[in-house]
Amino acid sequence: MKPLAAIVLGLALVGPFLVPRHAADDDDPAGARYLAPLTQAHVVPLRAGGNRVVTSLARTSGGWTGQRAGSEVSFRDEEVAGAPVPRVYLLGTDGLGRDLLDRMLRGARHSVLIAGAGVAVALFIGILVGAAAGLSRPAVEALLMRSTDVLLATPRFLVYLLCAALFGPSTLLVIVVVGLTTWPSLARLVRASTRSLRSQEGILAARAAGCSPPRLVMRHLLPAMTPVVAVTAALRFSDTIRLEAALSFLGVGSPPPAVSLGAIVASGRGVLADAWWVAAWPGLTIAVLVLAVRSAVSRPERLAEPPSVA
Amino acid sequence: MSRLLARRLAAAILVAWGVATLAFVLVQAVPGRAFDELALQGLPPQAAERLRVLFGADRPFAVRYIDWLLGLLRGDLGFSLQLRRPVGALVAEALGNTIALTGLALAVQVVLGVLVGTLAAVTRSRWLDLAAGGVAALVYSFPSFWMGLLLVAVFSLALPWLPVSQMRSIDGGGMGDLLRHLILPCAALALPLAAGTSLYVRDEMRVALARPFVAAARARGAGEGRVAVAHALRSVLLPVAQLVGLSIQGVVAGSVVIEVLFAWPGMGRLAYDALLARDEPLVLACVLVGAVAVVVGGLLADVASALCDPRFAVEQR
Repeated sequence: MKPLAAIVLGLALVGPFLVPRHAADDDDPAGARYLAPLTQAHVVPLRAGGNRVVTSLARTSGGWTGQRAGSEVSFRDEEVAGAPVPRVYLLGTDGLGRDLLDRMLRGARHSVLIAGAGVAVALFIGILVGAAAGLSRPAVEALLMRSTDVLLATPRFLVYLLCAALFGPSTLLVIVVVGLTTWPSLARLVRASTRSLRSQEGILAARAAGCSPPRLVMRHLLPAMTPVVAVTAALRFSDTIRLEAALSFLGVGSPPPAVSLGAIVASGRGVLADAWWVAAWPGLTIAVLVLAVRSAVSRPERLAEPPSVA
Repeated sequence: MSRLLARRLAAAILVAWGVATLAFVLVQAVPGRAFDELALQGLPPQAAERLRVLFGADRPFAVRYIDWLLGLLRGDLGFSLQLRRPVGALVAEALGNTIALTGLALAVQVVLGVLVGTLAAVTRSRWLDLAAGGVAALVYSFPSFWMGLLLVAVFSLALPWLPVSQMRSIDGGGMGDLLRHLILPCAALALPLAAGTSLYVRDEMRVALARPFVAAARARGAGEGRVAVAHALRSVLLPVAQLVGLSIQGVVAGSVVIEVLFAWPGMGRLAYDALLARDEPLVLACVLVGAVAVVVGGLLADVASALCDPRFAVEQR
């Protein structure tokens, strides 16, 4: 199932480039407000300036008529600046008339980038601390692992909220806090792997040959533990996608203009009965991203991990 | 068993102290606190000074830290700046509501997860297994807030069966009313967790059912149901107990989101509101309660593991 994860993540990264943004997207927020998925609309350019997004457009004698924002509108030919351009809103629009397909793709890219950056930070610290603990004297090791335990018991969600209240929410803060609260589980794993590898002949030989600790970690230990670490990193990645979504759902994630899936869900929360699609698509996107990453982790590897909810 | 418990308890207290210190330093070290020059601008100097002395903002960091720790030991969590009530009373009120919600959610997680997982493992029907596994994998990847919205859309808006939010109806109502309000937030919190647990139990059960002791039980003539429940499932319960203990971290996060979404007056919402208002004593208490919950979860998981399998207490030296 690894190809599936690669395809989904790849699509998430390049998605916004594949689907061109409608050039006149923001021109008629009132007309394009809460259009249902698969709505066929026309963009009518006006001579007086600006565009109008009109559904069920029809030709009349000497002009056009159609529906806009729940009422009938008509334009005379001399008002219209050019031929109406047809447009299909595949996934519908949100309350500001923005195309949800575009919002969703950009949100997916945002999720993947934030989770990737956060897990990268966590990997860096986790490998550093874990390898240091695994290779150093018992006293140092105990100190490092006890501080790791403290961070493991820290309710990371509350710590993030705390930091958001203190520093103000930002994309950088999400990445930093994810990095700083995710590394302990990786450090534990790296330490355990280091300790079990430490007495193997290859590692012993490298140490006997005078290999310095950093080189030992980079050239000998890390390659040997890559499969295990990659699994945990992938699962932390999928956790982070949901954590980031939950934070922006609460309104403390990346502030606009960044597009976050959780924030889109939050914007659709109040109109659940009338415009279900606003909340539906971004939520499904999160589920697909998480599912794709998890599917890349084979079953026996998954067994060692607890389920999580963000 | 008692030695294990004592050692774990000592470690747990140490960890809780560490988290409390971390949170305290984080709150105190950041500029722009309550009672600094900017916040008290426009007040007469004497009044500002009196406020600072009253709330202890004039004393050095170390003194405030030790004072706060001693207060914690006495059970005094401080005084909420925003709500103007003792933090202890606020936490006591909210904690009960949260325990009702998360406790029920954890129970649903274990019961539903073990039940579905076991059935999926022992069933001979490939299609049933595939369907259960597929649904579980999908539900497991739903964010809990989206699960909540989905449930609200179906059971409150499309079918007017259950209330959208809050803990009680305006006209009061008894236990039944409370339970009706509890169903949706609890399901939103528990269903993704239960799905994850069921996948885990199914995989572990499959492994267990293929092991020699199960074959031995079958050879002795034990029925298929007895083999599954008394032999295979029993060996799976140990990792499940650990798993549930570890999922407390996720439940703490989930309860913040779900309580805000459903306007449930519990710890999660208290923490969220306190953070938005930058109510330092209340924030510290909430982070501390969250940390204690995580630590106690791990502790209970160890105790449950030792009860399931006596070897566990010996191995964890």
